[in-house]
Amino acid sequence: MIVRTPPVKKRRGPEIESPPPSAAAGPLVIYEDHPSPSPHLQPTDDGSSHHMLCTYQCRQMVKSEFLDALSNAEKQVQDYQSRLEALNDNFRKVESERKKFRDQFLYTEQELSAAKGREKALQEQQLKEVHDFQERFSKQIRSYTELEVKLQTEINLRTKAETSAASAEKKASVLEGKLSHLSESIEREKRHLNNEIAHIKRESKLSVARITADLERMECRAHNAEKESQLLKGQLDDLKKQLSECLQQKSEAETKLTRFTFQEVNHTDNDILVKHLQEELRNFEAEVRAARKLKSSHEDVNLLKEKLLEEKGRRERAESELSKLQEFHPSMKKLEDELTSWKLMTKDIPGVSCCDDIPVKFGALQKEVIDSTKREGEATARLKQLEVALDAALIGKQNAETEAELMREKLEVTKSEVNRIELMLSRVTEERDKLRNDINEFKRAKSDGAGDEATSQSLLKELESSLAKKEGYIKELDSALFEQKQVNSCQREEIKSLNDRLKTEARKVKSLEREGDQLRSEISLLESKLGHGDFSAANTKVLRMVNTLTVDNEAKQTIEALRTELQKTKEKLQAVEELKSQSGEAGKLVDSDISGKIVQLKEQIATLEKREERYKTVFADRISVFRRACCELFGYKIVMDEHQRPNGIPVTRFTLQSIYAQSDNEKLEFEYESGTTNILANDYTSQREISQQVEIFIRKMNSIPAFTANLTVESFNRRTLS
Amino acid sequence: MASSRTATKDIITLRGSAAIVSEFFGYSANSILYNRGVYPEESFVKVKKYGLPMLLTQDEGLKSFIANLTSQLSEWLESGKLQRIVLVIMSKATNEVLERWNFSIETDSEVVEKGVSREKSDKEIMREIQAIMRQIASSITYLPCLDEPCVFDVLAYTDKDVQVPFTWVESDPKLIDNPQMVKLHSFDTKIHKVNTLVSYKNDEWDEE
Repeated sequence: MIVRTPPVKKRRGPEIESPPPSAAAGPLVIYEDHPSPSPHLQPTDDGSSHHMLCTYQCRQMVKSEFLDALSNAEKQVQDYQSRLEALNDNFRKVESERKKFRDQFLYTEQELSAAKGREKALQEQQLKEVHDFQERFSKQIRSYTELEVKLQTEINLRTKAETSAASAEKKASVLEGKLSHLSESIEREKRHLNNEIAHIKRESKLSVARITADLERMECRAHNAEKESQLLKGQLDDLKKQLSECLQQKSEAETKLTRFTFQEVNHTDNDILVKHLQEELRNFEAEVRAARKLKSSHEDVNLLKEKLLEEKGRRERAESELSKLQEFHPSMKKLEDELTSWKLMTKDIPGVSCCDDIPVKFGALQKEVIDSTKREGEATARLKQLEVALDAALIGKQNAETEAELMREKLEVTKSEVNRIELMLSRVTEERDKLRNDINEFKRAKSDGAGDEATSQSLLKELESSLAKKEGYIKELDSALFEQKQVNSCQREEIKSLNDRLKTEARKVKSLEREGDQLRSEISLLESKLGHGDFSAANTKVLRMVNTLTVDNEAKQTIEALRTELQKTKEKLQAVEELKSQSGEAGKLVDSDISGKIVQLKEQIATLEKREERYKTVFADRISVFRRACCELFGYKIVMDEHQRPNGIPVTRFTLQSIYAQSDNEKLEFEYESGTTNILANDYTSQREISQQVEIFIRKMNSIPAFTANLTVESFNRRTLS
Repeated sequence: MASSRTATKDIITLRGSAAIVSEFFGYSANSILYNRGVYPEESFVKVKKYGLPMLLTQDEGLKSFIANLTSQLSEWLESGKLQRIVLVIMSKATNEVLERWNFSIETDSEVVEKGVSREKSDKEIMREIQAIMRQIASSITYLPCLDEPCVFDVLAYTDKDVQVPFTWVESDPKLIDNPQMVKLHSFDTKIHKVNTLVSYKNDEWDEE
């Protein structure tokens, strides 16, 4: 801009400070205004500044030149300013870029710290997990060792049980062998005995046949003999007749003979006759002998008959005996078999010398069997327990596997994070490189341009230092990443080993679960037993509350029923009697009927009365039992009386006498009236000691039981001590 | 009962618990005798208890019997020596045991020994007892019919060192062979826990 009239300032300025520029000289310089500090931008004329002294005259002359020069200078200034502005812009841009970079740097720093924090948290978590794992692992190892010990004991037990079982089996097989042997021998004996039986049967049949044949023969003979005897009887009769005739003849002959002897007329004839008679006599004698023989044979026949009968009886007996024998045979056989088997058994059983040892041996064997079964049961139970423990371990393993899976997932997450961090790192390094490049460019520009921008340089230095720091961080991050990776690999290995252990633990867990089931079933069994009402007699006893309700009720009811019946019958009787009296003779017709009924009713009454009596006696019995029990339990004989006071009020009086009383006078009398009991004064209670006790226990403490109990103890002491 | 409870309703003492449990036995015995028809229906009157209409006998003998029973039970419960109470229903003619109502009791030994108290609201206990009473009343639906005159007995399972009171005698447990069992609800005063169970004679008709 060209100014026509220079400003006052400018005019004054040169007056004071600077001489007016010479006309000849080039462009004038206004001294007061130093156009710019950059001398290199101002083109100057060499040595003309010395002649810039101006006078008033020259001023006007110089003015236009000066103005041109000024304008030029101004233009130059403007140029410079625009350049400066451009530079400033550049600088601002750089600064903004620097700010951007700084922000980016801060952002990356923040991210880095965040990543660090995350990493730390992760590390802590993993450390914790590792701790947990270790604890769990140690626990499981402990349980495993315990289980192993258990298993060992179980195995030992089992082997023992197995050996015992094997021995038992051996014994069983030996016994079986013996059994088979015995059965074989029994079979053989059976067969043998069967054969014998058959033989005996055949023999018996034969003998029976023989006996029957004999019998028949004998019967025939008997028959014949009977016939013979009959014949002989006939003959005998004939002979008897003959004999009687002969005897008659003989007597006749004898008479004749006597007559003849008297006569003895013809002796020779007589002799002949005598001879003849003698012969006849001899004949007769012979006949008599024969008859006698016959008679004896008849007797023989009778004898034979008797013998036959005997034989028959014997045969029958023999037959019955035979059947019995047949019956006896099998039982005998059995017994023999048993005996032989037992003998064999006794021979076979070791440590048995006689029959008496067998039950002992048997008891021992039974005990052994029970023990072995018990052991077996225990062993199986233990086995089951182990199985259950294994199951439990399996479940643990599964849990651990899931945990491992989780850990793997976490690892993957951390890996991805690591990758992300690496990516970020690469980005950051890229940015750093970029920044570096920029810085280099700047440096170059700086070297090219104005090298005096100290501030920007310092900033750049700061940037560089921050970059260096960043690099350091990046290195740290790298190293941390490396460590992390190492830790991860370690953890993986650990997880693997833990997995293996977990597998075994899971098995244990399962077995433990099975054990739990078993125990639950046992518990349910025990609960059912408990529910059933079982109890251990060692620490429990069962008491029953004495319940006389039903008995009382029954008695009451029956008595009530009987009373009502009695009442009714009495009423009926009365009614009938009234009727009787009213109807008089007219009622006589009905009388018989009614009297029958009356008789019936009377009978009923009698039975009912009897029943009542019986109930009363039963009641009296019960009461006496109760009284005796009371006497035994409380130490007092109690007598109950009904009294009437002079004013007619009924009262019940109880007289108590202690079983430790030393005389009959030691009696306590109480009056019971409508729920209250009062002691009555008598000789005994008016004694000083007793009256004192009455005063204390009954009057003051209002307790009769305490009084009586105290009295009982005192009299007991007196009795026993004296 | 109320006197033994402290001012704060949720605190329960040994005496209070024993009173609650023995009272429960009294009511449950009444309920069982009514529902199982051991005593005639007309000898019972309705009263309100546990938030339910409960039946109480008017038979003087039975009343005094139950009163004696509950007083003895509370004495035992306070000493912690009662293990179980059984109400046995038997045939009058043959004395065969037909039903056993089991009330097994678990006592908190610490309370008995040290005399400390526990915390449980009255309301909650009453609600638990109410559930048992409902079950007793509904048991007639599945228990076999008692079609013959029956009598009952009360058994107490106690510790060995308990002195036998005057009105009690030692007895056999009166068990049922091969019984059917139904477990009912239980209630807990935090001092005494009562488990209820009814076992009864196996009905032959079921098996045919």
